[in-house]
Parts: sequence; C-alpha cells; structure tokens
Amino acid sequence: MKKFLALALFATAFISCKKETTTTTDVANNDTITKTEEPATERTGYNIGDEATDFSLKGTDDKMYSLSQFANAKGFIVIFTCNHCPYAKAYEERIVALDAKYKSLGYPVIAINPNDPAAQPEDNFDLMKTRAKEKGFTFPYLMDEGQKIYPQYGATKTPHVYILQKENGKNIVKYIGAIDNNHENANDVTEKYVEAAVDALLKNEPVKQTETVAIGCTIKVKK
Amino acid sequence: MKKFIGICTLLLTITSCDKKAETAVEKPQVIELSTDYNSVFNQFTKQNDTLYVVNFWATWCQPCVEELPDFMKINNEFKTDKFKMILVSLDKGSDFETKVKDYIKTNNISPDVYVLTDNKRMNEWIPKINKTWSGAIPATAIYKNGKQVFFTEGKISYTDLKSTINKFK
Repeated sequence: MKKFLALALFATAFISCKKETTTTTDVANNDTITKTEEPATERTGYNIGDEATDFSLKGTDDKMYSLSQFANAKGFIVIFTCNHCPYAKAYEERIVALDAKYKSLGYPVIAINPNDPAAQPEDNFDLMKTRAKEKGFTFPYLMDEGQKIYPQYGATKTPHVYILQKENGKNIVKYIGAIDNNHENANDVTEKYVEAAVDALLKNEPVKQTETVAIGCTIKVKK
Repeated sequence: MKKFIGICTLLLTITSCDKKAETAVEKPQVIELSTDYNSVFNQFTKQNDTLYVVNFWATWCQPCVEELPDFMKINNEFKTDKFKMILVSLDKGSDFETKVKDYIKTNNISPDVYVLTDNKRMNEWIPKINKTWSGAIPATAIYKNGKQVFFTEGKISYTDLKSTINKFK
C-alpha cells in the first residue's frame, strides 16, 4: 500500500512537472485536482507548499520572537506542544535533541504552546517557564497569546509539527505531522519523520513523507 | 405444601427467565489490551446490521473523560436495540492494569474497552479510521455493515450523538 502511494505520488509529481513546461493554467488545474483528492484539504490550515505566517509571540525568557529574527536560518521546525499532554511530555527530550542537531544546520526548533491556560491551567505561562527550565529547553518556548497562530497553521493537537523552509524570503510548509513513529518508546522508533524531512531539505531533495498522523491531545480552547 | 411448591416453581421460573434475558441481551464486558489494530477494528466492522459507536479516548484526556458520561447514558438508552458501543483507549500499555482498569471500575464504564497500543503503526491505522482525522482525541466513529457512516474529531454532545445514532439506526 505504502509503495503504491509512493508510486502514485511520484507519478502525480511527474505529471505535474511535465505539464508545467506546457501551460501554467494546466498546472493550476492539476494542482487543484490533486489537492481535492488529498484528505488534507478537508481540514483547515496549511497544506504542503503553503506560505506559513510569521508571528510575534512571547517566550519563556520574556522576549518576543518572530521567525524573521532568525536571519541565518534556512528554515524552522515549528512544534505546537504544551506542558500537560502526556504525548507532548513523552517528546520533550526528543525535541531538545532535534534542536541540538538541527539548529546549527539552519533549522532551529520553535515551540509554541497553543492552549488557553483558562481551559488548561497546567499550560499557563509561569508553568511553561518552569518546564522550560526543568527540561533545559534550548529553543524558544512561546505562548500563542490569544490563540491566533495555531488556527492559521491548522494545528489540531499537541504535539503537531510544521517544518518550514525559507524560499525567497517566504517560509514554505514542507512537512506536517508527527515527530516519529513511537511516542511511548524512543528506543523503539523505526521511522524518524522530522529528521528524515529536515535531512532531505538540507540536501535540497524533496521530502518523501510530507504528512503523517499520530494521536495527540486536542488544543484546549476556553468554552 | 402445595403452596410451597407453587412458590418454588414460581421462583424457579422467575430466576430462569432472568437468566435467559441476561444471556440474550448482555454479554460480559470485554476489557482488553491489543497491540494489533486489525483485531480491534474487526470488532466494529462486522457485516451485520448492528450499529457500532466507537469512541477513541484516554484516561488522561480531559475532554474525553468529560464526554464519557454522555456516552454511558446513550449506551444505556440504546442497549436493547441493535447497538454496540466500543471504547478504544489510547492510554499507555503500561497503564492498562492500573489507571485504565481503575478508571473503568470507578466510573462504571459498561461498554467493551480495548486499549490499543499499536503505536508504531499510528500513521497507518489513524487514516484507516478516517482520512480527515489528525489524531487528536476524543474522536467518534459510527459503523454499520462494516462501513463507516459517521466520523467526528473532538467532543460530541449528547443530543448530537443521539440524533446521529437515530439517523443511522
């Protein structure tokens, strides 16, 4: 099945590439067709290839952060995560490891807590500070104040990863999904989705698996 | 003496009737740990006219446990119909004997509960439930004749769930 999907994707990519050389309208048509067939269009937020919005959000160090500040970055590993969710907690150390590995290569981690602390007190700003200190976060851990950013990205849960690549000054979405294929046991991971995606981007190669899904905690909104 | 025999027979009939009714309607609750999603999916994709309401939840998931009482209420209301509720827990396998079983006992959770720990194949089985599912829980799906007739990600209200069930029943 996976093979078939890969082949199908490859075929679609090939076909759209071919058409690109003929007319631009064809490409547009083709794109819309492929998109409607993908499950991705049924949710809100970004699809692969969309431009991601920048933001100005406060980090646990009380400084404001925007993607535009990272002049030397080639892209970003944006992770919607939080304090309370067991799935998010299970990934804390792996997120630190991702930042350690990829920040110097041009893909820093930017963590954003999308939850409303009024709905989930454990995710309030003070406790975010505590968690960042306890776990030795080496990356900005930002509060999505007013919950304006996560809906634009289309994040629905924590953890939820968006890998962005800078292209002509725009941050283009290259991967959406999970960190790897085993939240419960880091030693028994057989597919490192985020690493594979960033490694491909670093080599200027297309990301093979652009979207994955995994169980996560719903983003908490005040009723 | 005759009276006594009469009462005895009456009692016997009542007890046997009771038993019959019990075995016909209620099967013992299944509480299982499963590492294979296929074995769990087989429980609600059977080719019959029973309506299967499947809820994905976890004991640590606040919105999930908030909506469970409504699910219990629905389960009681429909239990005489061709209806079956299945709860698929996404708790850790290591929490099965403790947290999950305790939760079921304390909260009188009556439907069958499967703790699904097919972690490494999440990217395979989540889209098999529904292509639009991002993996956030709670999520609820309804099946009939092996086919999904309804899916929603996030909480569902008592009235919405009830009207949806009535629509497909």
